[in-house]
Amino acid sequence: MTVASGTSPSLPLFDLRVLPEDIAAVAAVYRDGRLGMGERVEAFEAAFAQQLGCRHAVALSSCTGALHLAYLAAGVGPGDEVIVPSMTFAATANAVIYCGATPVFADAIGTHDLSIDPDHVETLIGPRTKAIAAVHFGGYAAPVERLAALCERHGLELIEDAAHAPSARLGDRKLGTFGFAGAFSFFSNKVLPCGEGGLLATDDDGAAAYAREYRSPAAGGLNYRMDEPRAALLLSRLRRLEDDIAQRRALVRRYRRGLALLDGVIVPYRDEDVELSSCYVMPILLEDEGRQSPVRRAMRERHAIQTSLLYPAVHEFTAYRERFPGISLPRTERLARTEVTLPLFPHMTETEQDRVLAALEDALAS
Amino acid sequence: MRLEEAEIEAALAAVSSGWLTMGPRIQALEAAAAERLGVRHALAVSSGTAALHLACVAAGLGEGSIAVVSSLAGPEAAFAPRSSGAEAVAADLEAVLEPVADLLGAVTPATRVVIVSHPTGVAADAAGLRRACDTQGIVLIEDATDALGATLPDGRAAGSAGHLGCFSLADGRLGGVGEGGIVVTGDDALAARVKSLRSHAMTSVTWDRHRGHADSYDIVDIGFNFRMDEPRAALAMARLERVGALVEARRAAAQTIRAAAPADVTPAWPDALPAGAAPQAVALVAPDEARRDALARALTACGVAARSWPRMLHGSTPVAAEARARTVLVDLGAIEAAGLDARTVAHALRAA
Repeated sequence: MTVASGTSPSLPLFDLRVLPEDIAAVAAVYRDGRLGMGERVEAFEAAFAQQLGCRHAVALSSCTGALHLAYLAAGVGPGDEVIVPSMTFAATANAVIYCGATPVFADAIGTHDLSIDPDHVETLIGPRTKAIAAVHFGGYAAPVERLAALCERHGLELIEDAAHAPSARLGDRKLGTFGFAGAFSFFSNKVLPCGEGGLLATDDDGAAAYAREYRSPAAGGLNYRMDEPRAALLLSRLRRLEDDIAQRRALVRRYRRGLALLDGVIVPYRDEDVELSSCYVMPILLEDEGRQSPVRRAMRERHAIQTSLLYPAVHEFTAYRERFPGISLPRTERLARTEVTLPLFPHMTETEQDRVLAALEDALAS
Repeated sequence: MRLEEAEIEAALAAVSSGWLTMGPRIQALEAAAAERLGVRHALAVSSGTAALHLACVAAGLGEGSIAVVSSLAGPEAAFAPRSSGAEAVAADLEAVLEPVADLLGAVTPATRVVIVSHPTGVAADAAGLRRACDTQGIVLIEDATDALGATLPDGRAAGSAGHLGCFSLADGRLGGVGEGGIVVTGDDALAARVKSLRSHAMTSVTWDRHRGHADSYDIVDIGFNFRMDEPRAALAMARLERVGALVEARRAAAQTIRAAAPADVTPAWPDALPAGAAPQAVALVAPDEARRDALARALTACGVAARSWPRMLHGSTPVAAEARARTVLVDLGAIEAAGLDARTVAHALRAA
């Protein structure tokens, strides 16, 4: 998409390019006229499950829906606790509240790895803990092997919020397959986008059956179904997923070389992690707290470059401070005050990338 | 269902634009829906179920409160109060052949919300109910999930007389787009609450941030992802423009089915198809359950699933129980989906 409107940034955070083959796939559904969940949803589920290496994939209306159904299928209910990161989108915790349970926030590991800290998680496990949620931030693996071992020892379920991480790996295994269930997002700015969409992946037959039943309102009053046009778009785009990710990785490698030359910038994760990541976003951290807003503003106003903030800490949102006051997570709070997300999309050019780096250097110098 | 070329083009234009999440097409759909339905606010959401869920939360339903719901309500309306922690009480029907629930008869001082349904696209007297609810401080929600294009006895659009009205754009519904819904309201505060809760109660959305209107966001409540996306909004907008024609086609199909009722079978609303109806289905009432099952078998043999009124709520509702046992719903959307003509189905019913 060419972003040309007067109010839009000339270099956006993400830019979804839809190809003629994608449009043809969706057009075929509209011409057929059967738009409700059917054979395309089934075909997409089968293709995604095969690509991921899991037994079941259940296509849904959103990743929020996938998290909600994953928690419910894991038996999370009123009175239970689920340990979640705060360095995430609010849905990870909101979906716990939908179940009538309480999210218990664990701190992040640090500036080199933004995922949930298993050492802190261990101290939070109590008699009411039912599950642990791990987010694969930016498409980089959370320490799921350690978390899975903790779950095993304490009789808990591990839920992977893999919204950022389709086809990302830890070793030879795809993320989203380490726990009881993995939740994926197909929101338009994601690695595999369709607009609004999500999916629950699991090897557990019971969890899959539960999600299939409860995505339709007749079972429990929720409608978390995906429809055929979105499934057709996803099926078409899934064929290019590995190519898209390869382009993302190449851009991230190049970003990292350029960013290493800038003072005051911390680049999380290691070079070798990039090779396994889905590279959903390019996160950086500023050494000085207090620079985040000025740097982002300078990039937008002086250079027309859009950045983002992944994430404001969930426990610091008004809705959470009111319900769960007095939580202190120093590492998460520092990350939330210093993170800046730079533009990244598969067809980004080197010229565009150099513009981002130059703009960042200028913003840091002022 | 066959989509017109213009409808397909509108949806594909949204897909090719590359901006797929809530943006200008959602805004255009909401403005068009508000104008067409004669309400101040229309908000596009992910489904009719989500619309009812959001309406219940916005209406202040919660732990310990009670909603009165028609005993014939589908899962969308029957479960919506429950998902916000409230209790749903079933109101029985006035008559088997006039399947309108006596909602006010089930109201008690504890009632916070009344949900009126417009079964099969035949509008109930929501305007009269609204007046009664207003005098008792009750929030009236119209479950118009079967009633896009229907008009109330006073000529206004079904869905527009309650404090909140909820529409479904699911496949098979008149104007359907796959999955989708719309919430309408004349109340600014209710609209703001629905709008906030459909997207995680975030103080800005991706589109605002894309245009540089916002840097970050706060989250001020526990909301949901009940958003519609741009391709569906574009398709819904194109379909909305044809609602008049779609209603006429459905009315013609409904008349064909009604006329085919065997001598011992009576269509609900026996005198005539009500003037403002935008039929989603035709309810055929048999003299007994065995005869009802024979009609259902005839339908199934045509490739159209045979349903009766749903049973989602429990309680003492003897008239609804009788209606359920004797009624077969001939779903006009299902006939379209099966690629059949109403005359084919009518022929099969006549012979049943």
